[in-house]
Amino acid sequence: MLFTELILAIMKAVNRQRTISSPYHLIKGKKSGQTIQDIGYFGLYPYFGVLPKLDKKAYDGAVQSLFLQGYLLANDQVVDLSEKALDLDIEASPLNGWKYRGNENLFFSRLSLIVQTFSHFSQQANVFDPIVSNEEIQSWVKIYLNRIRFRDLTVAQRFKEELVITLTDTAVSETHKMIVMERLSGLGLSGMTWQQIAASKNLSVMDVQLMAVETLHGWMAVIERSKPPLLTGLMEGIIQQSSLTESAQRTEKLFERGFSLEQIASLRQLKSSTIEDHFVELAMNDPYFNYAPFVDAALFEAIIAESRRQKTKRLREIKEHLPEASYFQIRLALAIREEQG
Amino acid sequence: MTLDDLLYSTYGFSSFRPGQREIIERVLAGDDVIALLPTGMGKSICYQLPAKLLPGSVLIVSPLLSLMQDQVAQLKKMGEKSVVAINSFLKPEDKEKIWNSLSSYKFIFISPEMLVQPFVKRQLQQLRISLLVADEAHCISQWGFDFRPDYLRISEILPTLKFPQVLALTATATEKVTEEIKKYLELKQPYIYCHPMDRKNIVYDIKKFEDGREKLDFLKGFIRKFNGPGIIYAGTRKKSQELSMLLTEQGISSAFYHGGMEHQDRIFVQQQFQNGELQWICSTNAFGMGVHIPNIRHVIHFQLPTSIEGYVQEVGRAGRDGQPALATLLYAQGDEALLESLVMDDLPNQHEIEAVYREGSAATYLLDQGIVRETAFRVLSYWITKLPLEGVIRQMELLRSGKRQQAAKIREFLFHEDCLRSYIIECFDQELLDKPINCCVNDGIDYTAFEAYSDSKEKQIPLEWQDRLRVILPI
Repeated sequence: MLFTELILAIMKAVNRQRTISSPYHLIKGKKSGQTIQDIGYFGLYPYFGVLPKLDKKAYDGAVQSLFLQGYLLANDQVVDLSEKALDLDIEASPLNGWKYRGNENLFFSRLSLIVQTFSHFSQQANVFDPIVSNEEIQSWVKIYLNRIRFRDLTVAQRFKEELVITLTDTAVSETHKMIVMERLSGLGLSGMTWQQIAASKNLSVMDVQLMAVETLHGWMAVIERSKPPLLTGLMEGIIQQSSLTESAQRTEKLFERGFSLEQIASLRQLKSSTIEDHFVELAMNDPYFNYAPFVDAALFEAIIAESRRQKTKRLREIKEHLPEASYFQIRLALAIREEQG
Repeated sequence: MTLDDLLYSTYGFSSFRPGQREIIERVLAGDDVIALLPTGMGKSICYQLPAKLLPGSVLIVSPLLSLMQDQVAQLKKMGEKSVVAINSFLKPEDKEKIWNSLSSYKFIFISPEMLVQPFVKRQLQQLRISLLVADEAHCISQWGFDFRPDYLRISEILPTLKFPQVLALTATATEKVTEEIKKYLELKQPYIYCHPMDRKNIVYDIKKFEDGREKLDFLKGFIRKFNGPGIIYAGTRKKSQELSMLLTEQGISSAFYHGGMEHQDRIFVQQQFQNGELQWICSTNAFGMGVHIPNIRHVIHFQLPTSIEGYVQEVGRAGRDGQPALATLLYAQGDEALLESLVMDDLPNQHEIEAVYREGSAATYLLDQGIVRETAFRVLSYWITKLPLEGVIRQMELLRSGKRQQAAKIREFLFHEDCLRSYIIECFDQELLDKPINCCVNDGIDYTAFEAYSDSKEKQIPLEWQDRLRVILPI
């Protein structure tokens, strides 16, 4: 998937209901209430936080080119997708940002250092400058390597075999796989910079970075599924037990202990609206979320019915017809509907 | 065990390089030492080896994070495990661990700003520090090209540490700077080792042009005439990218390198250069520190350096293997005006001085909002604690004229008609005793000493991901 295709995929999903800057926040992985809640409303899970270092100028540039090429059309307040954009066939992507939360970098750093070590030791070069300077990762890899008895050449061979088999099974293009391999270093052959990789493939830096993330997400999914003995070890701590943000987890704990929304807000010295965001996030993630303390059943049903009738998830449009519902109640109901519907 | 035995068992070297033995012997004899050793002459051995024999820990004050990381990495690579680096980037949980076991480390690296924090001071007080090393000690000089005000505070910690012996290390220092090091580190009668600054195998060349166009054309010709490895220093990040693009267009392998790139990419470029996968690096002055490549044949300055000291340090990265290396300085008419503004832009202006003075050094929002620039803030934060407003303004004036003098020296160097080598050496208050045959452009250069360009280094690049993996893991 190219970077511009990513923007189009997100714009398609939000279906004229969000501004052109919302994909930016989503791609960067902004943990605000709006972004988190949109993920649930519009099913944007794959795209969350896939390029956390995305530069605003670079993003604006890509949007500009989409306008110039006639994919995006300005229409009053909203941005429309042209026929050309709607017809565009975007290849299925293994992106899974909500699940992996940027931890593909941890996975890949470990892998880089392990491969570099195997590369040197198997060629009798036992001293080298580690490609990863993060000491935490270095000591993790040391422990891992000792555990698998890395000095045994057959272990290195099995590691490589697992690597080839799982990457072969990963559902991305050969170019995708090459990009990830080009970020690996070994004896006499160094990794390539993003700029070098992009130039060699006539793509932009953002394109190749996105393709690398796609490959890693797809690859990790294959490893999780097929459980190869050596590579599975690299997945340690990669998948967070809870898909909630840390702050929402803290709110959840307090709520379970019996504190009310307002009490939690004053305890944590946060605005009520922030705590409301947390409840929306909790509702989104929990199919059995009990909404009763916040909204009575009749109003809940009315909100859902209104959203269906108008075919919209715009809060303002729903509230116009249901003035008795608060924005928080509407958001909560919509989040639950996504989850349970 | 003799020093030679220790050298061999630790590093595998059978003999010391010039100066190392003298410095180490003085350190072991308990003297304070100021050591001036050119880059690449093995400065770190001068404290690493004594550490093996001295009781307690060695505290190394290091001004730059990247330098600190590099030295820690080098020590670890040699199998030394008793190393720790303390800087402001440490995570709280790691700090806790470090404080609890601080006395067990042989080598403690620390940044100057951490050194003076009360908590850190209390921790250090409980240790036995047998040697304090001030690395890159020229940073103490306000006249120097990379003044670190925090360095002046090293003297504040000396009483806390019960006045350990001090080893000040630097690659570039004039007599004036040496005096300042002595004064600020409160060294009464230090032993001063001053290695001859001259690097015999480096040949100095200057090329002058009418305009930038001609300069570029020359560079295009140059890279077709000579083989690397070489560094091309550009003044800005953008320029470094442009030059690298130019070389790539000419079919010459090169990459750019600057502080704006992500960490991993910078490591890749260093590695490619080290592996010989690249002929040229086009870089800002960010490239060089911690780069250990002995066979760099060329250093080209595409834009004027801002001081002779800085120039010598950058040029000094060439020819560490002792083989001939060529330093080429390119100048086009008008470059000196650019230089002047580049040098002056760095200094705090009136507006910044007043802002920091009014708001105090705790007002980091001045930085965040871009009201005061980082270097200016660092320099001013120090001086406002020492001087009244007028004094700070006067101090900045002095700094300004100091910088202007440095730029003037570069201009003088540029149009110097006699031996360039002598000129450089004299800037460091030394005397040139014997001249190599291949010396500088004013004495005539024999370019045949440098390997002529050859096309043969074309490398096979793997085309499929499986191929690439096979090259990396041939098992």
